[in-house]
Amino acid sequence: MSRIQIESASKRFGEVTAVDRICLDIEHGEFLVLLGPSGCGKSTLLRAIAGLTPLTEGRIRLADRDITNIPPRDRDLAMVFQSYALYPHLSVERNIGFPLRARRRSRAEIQQQVRDVAEILDLTELLARRPRELSGGQRQRVALGRALVRDPGAFLMDEPLSNLDARLRTATRSELTELHRRLRSTFVYVTHDQVEAMTMATRIALLDHGRLEQVGSPTEVYDQPASTFVAGFLGAPPMNLLDAQLVSRAGRLHAVAPGVDMPLDIAADLPTREVVLGVRPEHLSLTGANPVLHGVVRLVENLGSEEVAHLVVGDTRVCLRGQRPLSLAVGDAVGLHSAPRHAHLFDRASGRRLVWRDDHAQVPTAPAELDLPAS
Amino acid sequence: MFVEVVAPAPGSPPPRAARPPLGRRVVAGAQPYLYLAPALALLGVWTYRPLAQTVQLSFYSWNLLPSTPMTPVGLRNYQRLIDLPDLGQAAVRTVVVIVGLLPFSVVIPVLVGLVTRQVRDRARVVYQAMVFAPTLVAPVASAAVWQWLLDPGAGVVNKVLGTRLNWLHETGSAQFAIIVITGWSVLGFATLVVSAGLAGINGDYGEAAQLDGASRGQITRWITLPLLSPTLVFLVLMTVLLSAQWTFPLIDTLTQGGPARATTNVYYLLWDYSFHSYDAGLGAAAGVLLFAAFGLVAAGLVRLSERLSFHDD
Repeated sequence: MSRIQIESASKRFGEVTAVDRICLDIEHGEFLVLLGPSGCGKSTLLRAIAGLTPLTEGRIRLADRDITNIPPRDRDLAMVFQSYALYPHLSVERNIGFPLRARRRSRAEIQQQVRDVAEILDLTELLARRPRELSGGQRQRVALGRALVRDPGAFLMDEPLSNLDARLRTATRSELTELHRRLRSTFVYVTHDQVEAMTMATRIALLDHGRLEQVGSPTEVYDQPASTFVAGFLGAPPMNLLDAQLVSRAGRLHAVAPGVDMPLDIAADLPTREVVLGVRPEHLSLTGANPVLHGVVRLVENLGSEEVAHLVVGDTRVCLRGQRPLSLAVGDAVGLHSAPRHAHLFDRASGRRLVWRDDHAQVPTAPAELDLPAS
Repeated sequence: MFVEVVAPAPGSPPPRAARPPLGRRVVAGAQPYLYLAPALALLGVWTYRPLAQTVQLSFYSWNLLPSTPMTPVGLRNYQRLIDLPDLGQAAVRTVVVIVGLLPFSVVIPVLVGLVTRQVRDRARVVYQAMVFAPTLVAPVASAAVWQWLLDPGAGVVNKVLGTRLNWLHETGSAQFAIIVITGWSVLGFATLVVSAGLAGINGDYGEAAQLDGASRGQITRWITLPLLSPTLVFLVLMTVLLSAQWTFPLIDTLTQGGPARATTNVYYLLWDYSFHSYDAGLGAAAGVLLFAAFGLVAAGLVRLSERLSFHDD
């Protein structure tokens, strides 16, 4: 069992708070992806789990053991670095065997285990080579082999695919997922690439400015983004976000702004409220009964199977994604349709998601309840 | 009927632009060499021309007086060098100096470098300035100071150690004193070189090794020192090739090669032949032999350092 519990972890570098009171409970066997833009604190958090960066405050437990003040070498964690950090003066065999050599295992045992790992990762032919004689993908596999060889409590990975070309990255993604399935071990994986996060994670933790924005399965974070940050980070292109007013009209709620009139299918009589309306580009279409957005086409991008149209609604840029051909031309004034269930609402001031509860007159903002454990 | 899609047609090369006139091409081609010319000229005038002249001089007998003609003597200068015991003895003493200096130029700097890796920011700058200071002291000035310190009567060294040694005028201690004083002045430079070498090692290796379960000692032995080895070979190379030169100003000021030639290394011998004994041919012949011997040693060490450098990419 290798559950990792992060309890109110903070890391400050002078005036800068890199990690801000983060609580995360990573169950045994999870593939947790720490996702966020550069500078969001995800790598610092991973390094804190590894023990390379001491926390300013908070506690980290591994398998119910407090490891906050335990040096990295005694933490029973393996890490794959972004640079791979393969020891340049050692052969592939000695690189993979290094963790065992440091633990004073017998030569025969080291050799056997290295060969087993090399077999799994298809590195047998390369055991005698030095790291500089390897391609990027091979180096990545050697780094993985060095982590695998000693059966650690959990695997930490710091953007391990970012140095690979696009095709290799796609292939390695599925290999990592396969590896995780086979090992049933805990993976904590740092990336800024939402595709990696969506495809590999069992759970995604989204960070911004050192704070946890949302934790949930890929489906949850994509379908119910907890904040405008999450909504604007995930998706390509990301969710359209429009400043709007929530108004009651004949007992029903509408999100209204210049060029925008979106019925929300909620029966309520509320005072007007400033909100942010979010609609995913793929949930907008050019056909339907009543257009909810009115805009002018500024650019059409051909993605091969689909097209993305960039429009201006009021003074906000809005994207529409749909099957090719959209049959739109620059300058066209069009109405866009969407179903009420595709509307996402966020509080204008806090940016947090607004959820409708029938038993409350007031729409609640509830950041805390969104830290749901994985199902 | 199917029609094959035709591949984009390869273009025919456009007509060549007219070549610029010969004069302009020569000027453009000569430009890089013109930039290099000053450095090359200095190298030629101050290094390669004297080298050629030394080789030439080694086949003559001459007492350095412009009024005396140079007499060609063939290989007799080399014959004399081999017959005389001086060169062999000086070579042995040179090896002693080199070996004696290695602790100062390699061992202590590595230890200091490893221990002071944690010193950061302004403290690091201050500490490096302090360590480097002895290297900046003019050798002749430091020789004068050390002469006082080592004075057999009133010298601080004897007082502190409680000895009554005449450091610079006894055969046993003179060489030792020269080595220690030279070592003291070289230490700072070598420590800076080691610090730079350590700073050049990517921190990821140490961190990866920590997570791989290696102890501090294991990381130093298995990761840091092997990755530092190109720097260490460089320092050994410097020591081997330059120690005789580093000691020269001290020897000339403090012992003049004595007592009883105990501090006469190959460089001092060479200088002694030419400018004390006025036997320029013999000095030149010794110089040529040294040049060849040191050249071989240097080539060996350079090859070693190339084998040891790991391209970190």
